[in-house]
Amino acid sequence: MWQIIKNEWLYLRRTRMLVGLSIGFVMVFLFSIILGNYQNQKELKASETAKKHLREQWESIEAMNPHSAAHYGTYVFKPSNLLSSLDEGVSSVTGNMLRVEGHVQNEMVHSEASQMQAISRFGKLKSSLLLKFIVPLLLIFLAFNAVSSEKQSGRLKLLVLQGASPIRIVLAKTVAVWLYGVLLLALVVATYSLLNIQNLSGDTLFRSLMVFVSYALYYFIITGLTVFFSARWQNSTVALTSMLGIWMFWSVFLPSVLLSSVEKWHPLPSRNEFKAAMREDRSKGIDGHNPADERGKELEKEVMAEYGVDSLYKLPINYDGIRMQADEEYGNQVWDKHFGNMRTVFTQQKQSMQIAGLFNPFISLQNASMGFAATDNMHHQEFLLQVETYRREFIKILNDKHAYGGSKTGDWGWKANNEFYKSVPDFDYQPTALGAIFHHYLLDVGLLLLWFILTLSLLFYGTRKMQLV
Amino acid sequence: MINIQQAHKAFKGKPAVQNLTLQVEQGEILGLLGANGAGKSTTINMLLGFLKPDSGTISVLEKDINQSSKELRKHIGYIPENVNLYPYLSGLENLDYFCRLSGLKYTKSELQEFLNICGLPSEDHQQKVAEYSKGMRQKVGIAIAYAKKAKVYLLDEPASGLDPRASNELSVLLKKLASEGATILMASHDIFRVREVCHRIGILRKGELVKELRSEEVSANELEKIYLEYIQN
Repeated sequence: MWQIIKNEWLYLRRTRMLVGLSIGFVMVFLFSIILGNYQNQKELKASETAKKHLREQWESIEAMNPHSAAHYGTYVFKPSNLLSSLDEGVSSVTGNMLRVEGHVQNEMVHSEASQMQAISRFGKLKSSLLLKFIVPLLLIFLAFNAVSSEKQSGRLKLLVLQGASPIRIVLAKTVAVWLYGVLLLALVVATYSLLNIQNLSGDTLFRSLMVFVSYALYYFIITGLTVFFSARWQNSTVALTSMLGIWMFWSVFLPSVLLSSVEKWHPLPSRNEFKAAMREDRSKGIDGHNPADERGKELEKEVMAEYGVDSLYKLPINYDGIRMQADEEYGNQVWDKHFGNMRTVFTQQKQSMQIAGLFNPFISLQNASMGFAATDNMHHQEFLLQVETYRREFIKILNDKHAYGGSKTGDWGWKANNEFYKSVPDFDYQPTALGAIFHHYLLDVGLLLLWFILTLSLLFYGTRKMQLV
Repeated sequence: MINIQQAHKAFKGKPAVQNLTLQVEQGEILGLLGANGAGKSTTINMLLGFLKPDSGTISVLEKDINQSSKELRKHIGYIPENVNLYPYLSGLENLDYFCRLSGLKYTKSELQEFLNICGLPSEDHQQKVAEYSKGMRQKVGIAIAYAKKAKVYLLDEPASGLDPRASNELSVLLKKLASEGATILMASHDIFRVREVCHRIGILRKGELVKELRSEEVSANELEKIYLEYIQN
């Protein structure tokens, strides 16, 4: 088998057109990697500068009322990782910055989520575009006549007569073309790693490895099926047409249909519906700016009883801060309810998309690629959760200061000093480790493996009775 | 060495070979003459084990080809009408590649020796096959069979399209192989070449062996007459 693989590679090396094509491909790849990496570094630098600037602004607050500071708010940034320039996933539509302020929680219904159908971004030169769409096409073009040309030229008989069994020939041809794709893939992953060697971590390496494995499995499926068609049909044009049809169906047509269907099966509320529902639920509770509210009155009674006073103005603390924190906490419950519902829908959508991998390995590749590059919706949701946790902590610190910092109820002119603002912690994003969420991607990798085994079986059993004459 | 008994093969009900019985002994060259569709290629494909006869038996080197095809193929050399080698490899590289597929590893000088024996001049060994003539490719094809020390050679229209010189060189080579003990079956249209090279000649018509004769018994002209007579009938 090794001899056949070696010979196939010799063909690739000695055919000027293929050498030219390969050089062209490598150049385009390197260009896309360098460009992607440059953009990534630029974004990273910009967000770090902005983050530093905003923190400096925050720490330079001399004297300000904590509630005013809560409205002043701050911004948090989602840092891009090494692999996000390899597959930007949903990042391009979700953005990487969020404002954190009092009363207002980041919304799960972001218009970007409904734009997830923008799966085929042909307008941008991205490594993922090349890896997902163009390399498989190249593999199809390299493999479509791998066996049929041997048949048509009569060499297949000679090969078999020399002791090469049909299955050995078919497998060797598959592996030879597949290795070409794997080499391009390795080049991409290795170049990314080299360009960012100082930032390489165990998690990044694990993610890179899984990206590599996912693409390698998909390339085998594409190459194996193409060689199978080439072996089954005498006419190489039929093999090429069939595989191009499958490529289009898998990577262009079916993903769009599936995404539309999944959004219909598990619909997300529109931005307006979501906001209205949140508003309605929140209005049922304490209105932070309306002390006449029933719940507010209950809270007033509770606090006054606790301090043994008959007027809010006799309290040794600032009741406004307690009321605002209570409002926040109620708002948090409302947010948790709606956010939870949203997460359930997202999970259902993700599961449906994952199961679709049974019929389309490209979907599994898409899920795995974005997931392992940490740019899928799940990673985005994890980021939003971390932001919300920070926002709650941030607002609680400000409300507590308002309540217990030394001011009295109704004293809206009271100001906290600079030392306090400096002590408020900054948002520290902790990237989700792949090990902790790997189980979410088991189905995608499992289905790619299943397709790999199916393709291998097809090559083994489907070509056993290959016609030599 | 080659023994076909009452072989019958039909495609979609249309017989390609009917009740074919023939033998070729060691050191003997048998020429099969016949028009297009007479069943020559089908017979060779059955001998290679690529086609199974519907009935009858086919044995090579005393063994049934359909039961021991893998083992027997090691001893069979096959030279088709067009030996399509890998155009991006040289003659030497092609020979090396096909030998390695059979598990044979020869040194460069051994490979060159095989090519020389089969009539390919040394200066052409390193040339890309894309630049070879049909005759040169035929020689590499024969060298492939020779290098694996084939005991049986099956040639399907080997002289078709060759210039007279190349055709003559092929005849010399085949006679040499037979004299070394090879069993050769050659299917051809070329009455004169068959008459010149083969010890015995069989005429196939619509899959049937209609006439068998020894070449020394007839002149080329007589053979042509007989052939045409049988073909027209």
